[in-house]
Amino acid sequence: MELLTQGIVSGVLVGGLYALMALGLSLSWGALKLINLAHFSFILLSAYLAYQLTITFRVDPFLTILVILPLFFLVGVLVQILFHFARVDEFKSLIISFGIFITFQSLMRTIWSADFRRIGSELNPYDGSSLFVGNIALPVPRLVAFVAALLIAAAMSLLLNRTYFGKAVRAVAQDTEMAQAFGVNPGRVAVMLSGLATTFSALAGVLIAIGQSLFPDLAVTWFGIVFAVVILGGLGHTVGALTAGVIVGVAAGVTAVLWAPLASPLVTFLILIAALLFRPEGLLTRRSVA
Amino acid sequence: MRARVPTLVGFAVVALLLLLVPGIQEALGFPRFYVIFLFTVFFWVAQATSWNILTGYTGYFSFGQGAFYGVGVYTVSVLAVKRDWSFMAALPVGALFAVVASLILGLVVFRLRRLRGEIFALTTLAVAFVLAAVARLSPAIDGGTGIFTTGTELPEFLGDFTTAMYRLTLAITVLAVLTSYLIHNSRLGWGLFSIRDDEEVAHGLGVPVFRYKMVALATNAFLAGLMGGVWSLQLGQVTVEAVFSIRVPLFVILMSVLGGMRHWMGPVVGAVIITTLNDRLLSADLADVSQIIIGALLVIMALAVREGVYARMRRRWVATVATFSGVLALMLVLGINDSLITDFLYAMLVTVALMLIPERIWERITERLPRREPEQVDEPVEDLAGTPS
Repeated sequence: MELLTQGIVSGVLVGGLYALMALGLSLSWGALKLINLAHFSFILLSAYLAYQLTITFRVDPFLTILVILPLFFLVGVLVQILFHFARVDEFKSLIISFGIFITFQSLMRTIWSADFRRIGSELNPYDGSSLFVGNIALPVPRLVAFVAALLIAAAMSLLLNRTYFGKAVRAVAQDTEMAQAFGVNPGRVAVMLSGLATTFSALAGVLIAIGQSLFPDLAVTWFGIVFAVVILGGLGHTVGALTAGVIVGVAAGVTAVLWAPLASPLVTFLILIAALLFRPEGLLTRRSVA
Repeated sequence: MRARVPTLVGFAVVALLLLLVPGIQEALGFPRFYVIFLFTVFFWVAQATSWNILTGYTGYFSFGQGAFYGVGVYTVSVLAVKRDWSFMAALPVGALFAVVASLILGLVVFRLRRLRGEIFALTTLAVAFVLAAVARLSPAIDGGTGIFTTGTELPEFLGDFTTAMYRLTLAITVLAVLTSYLIHNSRLGWGLFSIRDDEEVAHGLGVPVFRYKMVALATNAFLAGLMGGVWSLQLGQVTVEAVFSIRVPLFVILMSVLGGMRHWMGPVVGAVIITTLNDRLLSADLADVSQIIIGALLVIMALAVREGVYARMRRRWVATVATFSGVLALMLVLGINDSLITDFLYAMLVTVALMLIPERIWERITERLPRREPEQVDEPVEDLAGTPS
C-alpha cells in the first residue's frame, strides 16, 4: 500500500516534468501550427549543457539556468525565423524538424559519446536528496520540476488568456490574416512564442540533468510520453498539459509498481489511444488557443 | 493513364538482368561485396517504395515503417528460430502479422474524422515504441535477450546465403515497385491522390476514402513486413534496439523526400542514392558523420526541392543522362577510385547537385545556350523544356 502511494506521488511529481517537456511542443503546435520535433533535441541538449557547465565551472547546477535559458530563447527565435522565411507548413515542419532532431542526436552522440553521463554528487547536492512526508519520499529534482511546471502553466495561462499578447497569440492562431488586419504583427508574436516554447524545453532539460543520467537516446524514449501528454492536454493548452502530465505520470508510476517498469510505455500508449478516440481535442479544451 | 505495356516489359527486362548478377559477378571479376551491396539497395528500395504507397500517395505522413518492418522481422525470427518453422512458411506469416497490426492502427486513426495527418503521424511514431516495449516484456518474443537467426536454413534451390538473400530481396523489391507502379496507374491510385489533394472533396465526390486509406496502409505494411522477414536473416542477431530504432523510418522518409513522393520512381531513385552514399560513408569509417549528414540532407531537401529530384530529372532528362554518364565515364577513365560504387556515387551526387539548381536560374542558363547546333549533341539543350512522355 505504501509502495502504491509512493508510486502515485512519484507519478504526480514526474508528471510535472512531463508537462514541462510537453509544453514547448504543445505551444508551437497549437499556436504556431508547427510540429517541432526539434524540441526533444533542445531538451536533451540543454540537459547536456547543464551537465557540462556544472562540471566545467564547478557551480551549482541550478545556476546554469542563467546561461541556458536565454541561450535557448535565442535558439527558439532563430528557429521561428528560419521556418518563417522558408514558408514551412505544418506537414513540412514535421520533416524538417525530424532532420534537425537526427542531426542534433548524432552531434550529441559525437560530443558526449553514448555513455551515461551524470553530474557527480559532490557538485549536485540535490540528486538523491528527498523531502519526507511521513514515509513518502519527494525527490528534490522532481519536486522542483513539478513546482516549476505548476508556476509556468499558471503564468502561461494568465499570459494567454488575460493579456494583450495572449489575445494576439490566440488571434494569430485562429486566423492569421484577420489578426494582421487588426494590427497584430504575426511575425513578432510567433517569434516571442517560439522563444518561450524553447525556453520551457530548456528548463525541462536542466531539471532532467539534475535528476538523472543522460545518454543520447534518452530523447527517443520521451517521444511516446510527450505526445500522449500533448494530445491528452490539448494543443497549446498549458493547464491541460499539466493535468495530462500528471495523469500519464501517475498511470506510468502505478504500472511500474503493480506490474513492471518496462510496461509503462504500454500504458502510456493506451492512454494516448483512449485520448484520440474519446477526447481528440484535449481534456480541458473549451476554446482556448487554437 | 493506364499501366503501359512497354513499361511492364522494361520491368521484366531489368528484373531478369538483375537476377543474372550473382551468376556472372565472378566471371566479370567483381568482388562478392557488390552482390551484398546490391541487395542492400533492394532492401531500401522496397522499404521506401512501400512507405511511399501510403505516405506519398495519400499524404498521410507515417513514422510507422519501423513498426511494420519490425513485426515482420520478429514474427519470422520467432517462428523460424524458437518454433522451428521452415523459413519460407514463416515469411508470409510475418507479412500477414504486419498487415493485421496496420489494420488495427488504421481502424483507430482513420475512423476519427477530425484527426488528420499530424495526429496520424505521431500515432504511428508511438506504435513502434509500444511494439518495442511488448517485445522486450514478453519472453515468448524477445524478453530482452535477442534472437540469433544465423542458424536458419534457406531452401536449397535459392543457392548459397548471399545468392539466396539477393534473389529473395530482388523478388520482393520487384513486387513492391510493380505494386507501386500499378497503383499509381489505377483507379485506386487516382483515389489516393485525390485524398492527398483534398480529402473532403474526394469524399464528397464518392471516393471510398476510408477503404482506400486502409488498402494503402495494409499494402505498405505487407511489403514492409515481408522484406523485414527476409532481412531478419541479414541481421544475424535480432534485438529490440536494432529493429525498432528510428533508422528505418528516417531512411525511408529521407529517400522519398529526396527522390520525390508524387511518383512511383521517386523513392526508387532516392533509395539508390542514399544507400550508395551511406555505404560509402560507412566504408570510409564515417559512421558517426553519416547520420549528421543524413539529417542535414533531409532538412535541405525538404527546403530546397519540393517535388523531389526525380521530377526534375524527368524535366531535365538530357542533362541528367549526359551528366551522369559523363561523370561516370570520367571516373572510369581516370580510375581514381578503388571501387565502382564510389564512381557511381560521384556521378549521382553531381547529377543531384545539378537538379538542385532552382528552376528560375536553370531556365536562364538554358536560354543562353545556343540552340539547334548539330555539333553540340552532347550539350543538353533542346529538350530541356519538354518532358518525355
